[in-house]
Amino acid sequence: MPNTFIKIASVTVGSGGASSIDFTSIPSTYTDLQILISSRSSFSTGNAWAGLKIRFNSSTSGYTDRAVAANGSSAFSFSDTYGGSFGFIGDVTMGSNTANTFGNTSIYCPSYAGSQNKSYSSDSVQENNATLAQSDLVAGLLSNTSAITSINLTLNTGNFVQYSTATLYGIKNS
Amino acid sequence: MPTTYEPIATHTTSGTVSNYTFSSIPSTYTDVIMVIADLGSDTSYKINVNGDTGTNYSSTFVYGDGSSAASGRGSNVSAAPTVGRRPGNSILQFQNYANTTTYKTFISRGNASNHLVISTVSLWRSTAAINSITVTPETGSFGSGVTFTLYGVKSA
Amino acid sequence: MTSILGIYASSMRGAVGDFESIATVTVGSGGASSVTFSSIPSTYQHLQVRLFGRGTNSDANIDGFCWLNGNETQSNYTNHFLRGNGSTASAGGSQASATPTMFSINSGGSGSGMFGVAVIDILDYANTNKNKTMRSLTGEDENGGGNIYFRSALFMNTSAVGSIKLIGQAGNNFAQYTSAALYGIKG
Repeated sequence: MPNTFIKIASVTVGSGGASSIDFTSIPSTYTDLQILISSRSSFSTGNAWAGLKIRFNSSTSGYTDRAVAANGSSAFSFSDTYGGSFGFIGDVTMGSNTANTFGNTSIYCPSYAGSQNKSYSSDSVQENNATLAQSDLVAGLLSNTSAITSINLTLNTGNFVQYSTATLYGIKNS
Repeated sequence: MPTTYEPIATHTTSGTVSNYTFSSIPSTYTDVIMVIADLGSDTSYKINVNGDTGTNYSSTFVYGDGSSAASGRGSNVSAAPTVGRRPGNSILQFQNYANTTTYKTFISRGNASNHLVISTVSLWRSTAAINSITVTPETGSFGSGVTFTLYGVKSA
Repeated sequence: MTSILGIYASSMRGAVGDFESIATVTVGSGGASSVTFSSIPSTYQHLQVRLFGRGTNSDANIDGFCWLNGNETQSNYTNHFLRGNGSTASAGGSQASATPTMFSINSGGSGSGMFGVAVIDILDYANTNKNKTMRSLTGEDENGGGNIYFRSALFMNTSAVGSIKLIGQAGNNFAQYTSAALYGIKG
């Protein structure tokens, strides 16, 4: 019986927070990857949301992304949030939002170990006890054909606070 | 041993094909999930079920093109339109696909980072159990290196 | 009409993989006012509810709530959404309400046999340091009408989620053949 949907690794941010969440030495034995992230930024200036970013294999260029999003008031779309140096994942809760509240994000990377450029799908919500809160459906691509062996998650403002979690799953097609 | 999430079939194209079909889909799961990794030229897909090419399909979708968010639909058409997107990946979820009482609804995400990001809900107006799914690009064909995978999800 | 409680998987022990079925409900003849999963074990890291549903009232579609831990009247929830209605993309949000709207499905006013769907994810559902953030992709098509939504809701309570109740708004019932499946994802 195949082990199809398997946890590869998980990270829970401890007291003091973390500037990044990293998965390394990702085996090539699965077909797709899924990452489930419950995160919050420490940044507390203003009352909006924090952007979640991704890098594969420490690549610092070649990312494109496009989102359709909502902020509790209007729907809109935007592209290439970080100018190609990171992939945009979505927006998550920040320090000045409702206490004890974390964003909810799912990233799916099909054929991550294949020989083509690497695409991803991300569904991410922020949440906050307010009329305004951000949600994003994101299409992303890294123009690099190397198999994904590491994933780096960071925030555009602040650090991941304690109790933020990220879990990496491998999904095997046979 | 019970397994909830299982691979059913997978295929990677080795040349140009006009469409791809998952056939003989077993009825033993609750839902099936299709994942497509396709870096071909910009287009969406259309979906036919069980070889049905009658005007029994419709879709409602929301998308972003990088400038604005928009929505559209197609009704009474011969294939479920505007499902998924390339170049990039698409994830299609067919829930309760094997029941023989209700019409069939599937929900999808399509991700083309330099064109559209889209989510679509589609309806096939037939009570037949789904045993095949055909994916066709709305323009062009599938090139080499496109991967199609079908997973089954089984509830208790 | 009574609610229907989730039925546990008959043989969870030894399941292969980290995505497991916990319980499933299928609504029988006569319909159901709600669907509830109770006594949810705290041994997973995340939960997913997969709904295939239809309401019974005369509207073409209905929205519905996902109440947690019996909190049905307290203003402990927020709501936010991205929506496509076939002609316009729109958004909305509300705070401090008792109506965490997490799914949108066909109802009795749409064509016979049309059912909507929802995939609802609750991450870190058993973590007692966190309020509970829910995310869903949900929609219904009516062949000439319909809506697709990306929805979220916050449950402002750090208790572990021990029960989930799905219910149509304004007391709308679920029609026969509605089914809801609860899955646990190990961490």
